[in-house]
Amino acid sequence: MRRKRFSRREVLAGLGAGALASVVPGCSGGGARSAVLQVWGGVPAASGPANVVKAFEQRFPQYKVNYTRFVNDARGNLKLDTALQGGVDIDVYFTYSPASLALRAGSGLAVDLTDRVTQDPQLKVFLDTDQPRAYLDNGRVKALATAREPFFVLFNEKLRQQAGVDLPQQWTIDEYRATAKKLTTANTIGAYTVPDVARIALGPNYWYDGDRSNFGDPHFEQNFRIGQDMIREGSAFPWTEVLARHLDSYQQNSFLGEEFHLWSTAPFNLRYLYDPKKFPHDFKVSFAPPPTVDGQDWNGGSYNNFVMVNPKSPKVDAAWEFVKFWLTEGSTPMLAGGKLPTLGNVTDDQVLTGMLGKEPEKYFDVDSFRRVVLDAEPKLATDTRLAGFPEITLAVKQQKDLCWLGEKDPGAAIREVRRVADAAIARNERSS
Amino acid sequence: MATATVVAAERTTVRADPGPGIKPKGWIGLLFIAPNLLGVIAFTLIPLISVIVLAFTDWNLVSGLGGIKFNGLDNFIAIARDPGFWSAVGLTLVYVGVSVPLTVMLGLGLGIALNRPLPGRAVLRAIFFLPYIVNIVAIGMTWLMLMNPKAGLVNQVLDVFGLQPGWFASSHWALPALIVMAVWGGVGYCSLIYLSALQDAPRQLYEAADIDGAGVWAKFRVITWPSLLPTTIFLLVTLIIGASQGFGLIALITAGGPGDSTTTISYYMYQTGFQFYRFGYASAIGLVTFVGVLVLTLVTWRAQRGRALHD
Repeated sequence: MRRKRFSRREVLAGLGAGALASVVPGCSGGGARSAVLQVWGGVPAASGPANVVKAFEQRFPQYKVNYTRFVNDARGNLKLDTALQGGVDIDVYFTYSPASLALRAGSGLAVDLTDRVTQDPQLKVFLDTDQPRAYLDNGRVKALATAREPFFVLFNEKLRQQAGVDLPQQWTIDEYRATAKKLTTANTIGAYTVPDVARIALGPNYWYDGDRSNFGDPHFEQNFRIGQDMIREGSAFPWTEVLARHLDSYQQNSFLGEEFHLWSTAPFNLRYLYDPKKFPHDFKVSFAPPPTVDGQDWNGGSYNNFVMVNPKSPKVDAAWEFVKFWLTEGSTPMLAGGKLPTLGNVTDDQVLTGMLGKEPEKYFDVDSFRRVVLDAEPKLATDTRLAGFPEITLAVKQQKDLCWLGEKDPGAAIREVRRVADAAIARNERSS
Repeated sequence: MATATVVAAERTTVRADPGPGIKPKGWIGLLFIAPNLLGVIAFTLIPLISVIVLAFTDWNLVSGLGGIKFNGLDNFIAIARDPGFWSAVGLTLVYVGVSVPLTVMLGLGLGIALNRPLPGRAVLRAIFFLPYIVNIVAIGMTWLMLMNPKAGLVNQVLDVFGLQPGWFASSHWALPALIVMAVWGGVGYCSLIYLSALQDAPRQLYEAADIDGAGVWAKFRVITWPSLLPTTIFLLVTLIIGASQGFGLIALITAGGPGDSTTTISYYMYQTGFQFYRFGYASAIGLVTFVGVLVLTLVTWRAQRGRALHD
């Protein structure tokens, strides 16, 4: 049998074709644009987005939507950033961290939505600059907050009644500390941690003062000191345990296990409190507002979950239709994930059943929920100055850890934060 | 002897006449290594060149290739003045300087022990090698539980001696805890390499030493250690490079903390690039680290020249 000889050219052509064949599928996500609207978000589809998409497709049958979930951590955000840069088919995407917001908006990865927002009376509120609900880059609207996330303090009703402590309707940070102390027993620690004292006192952009950082403000040191003192006296969770058990990501388990009592948190954690199968517990939960500091009552929460439209999308009009739907009539399903809509276009009953499950009365003190979440109008602090934000975030965390482990004096810790923050702000402002 | 000559002649014949359809051209060899070569080009060479170029830029990734701004030597000047970088260098030197010699010493001891006839020797070898092949996440989570300052097994044992280290929840103990884990993970690998080297140790020298009445220590000092020196240098070089790049356990367990007590150079580079999005600066740190590790490796390599035992 005669063997066929391949010429060098034939072999090279074969190799080239092989290489191309292996590369092209890898690029298919980057080059090809589908007719389907591609939406990337950090909330699991089952926690609301799938139902928003379903409702949108019913309302606008001419559109099909594919929702892709990315994990909202450093790696997930990097994946989204490289996808956006690499031209992957994404029409609408969500941004959760302030640092990513500034980077993406400032790097041409967001459509200018100013005119569309201005022309729609329903969306006028997004132009408010006192309590901003949109991210503005050089005065242009680049991202719209889809959710408001007010903070509140949760009480374990069973333990509260046992301790004979009144449910506060208004309280100061000193009263918070005293209450935590009173609730501390041999088995349960009074509080998980301290609400952000400086945020409550100073409101939005509290890290910045002109072209420098604001860590000279005494409230920052006060925050570190109260935490350190509470841990020392045993009324706040020992930070050694928090770090050794990586507890920050699993606070709900310790709250449900009655390891601590007061839990300063936000609506997205309510989903753990009404599912008896996955998260069994035998107590009701009641709500108190965050404590005030020196008469100031900024809520620690903010407007969040910013939606943006990719400027590389060939379907910007369809993408905008989807964004508008999510913000307005389609926002209800997101209550299941603990997302209160920014525009407040849901009824109280929808909020109750959406956020507190099918049997709210069974697991929650609904009166206190109405008082603290539905009827109150908390002052939400959304940062708009974001120079050096990731560096400052890390410095605050590092020094807080040292302080609350009892290894460093709060004054020295804040001075170190200030040094890092000043340098980060100067470098960012210089390079921008 | 005759058989060897015939085989050699056959080999020569094959070389002289490759047969129909087979051309002993260089590109055929290239064809075989092409997949690997493509991998090296795509995943090593291009990233390496990119890092060198990016080290002289200010770039945040999100702005795309159009956002790259060349800034000359600014990144290197900033590195020289960056206290975070120098802190990371110091921690890396401690981490490498303690974990590598410890791993090699314990590996050597274990290798020698497992080289002796012991009951269940094969099982013991497998047990000691196991940490090297176990998934890093499983290792991390297990040690995290073992080293829990309050409820962990390690502290329950140490409590007998009145010791209660904070391990990962203490800025003083977190780095030692990582060193313990690194040593535990590397000893089995070292012992296996030493075991294979010990099999090659010259028997006749041991026999001669026995005849001369040399003791155990004298035999180790004069025969075993010099014959193991090339292996030791190989282990030192590879472990130094590996430990300098140590990242997985730090990312998984401490995230560089508490404070910055476990922010080694590789983790600092990751923070700078992937958390602060300063890819130009992170590349410059990478380049400086590369030069540092290269120097360290060369110093180690040169230190052994002329000291090994040659047959």
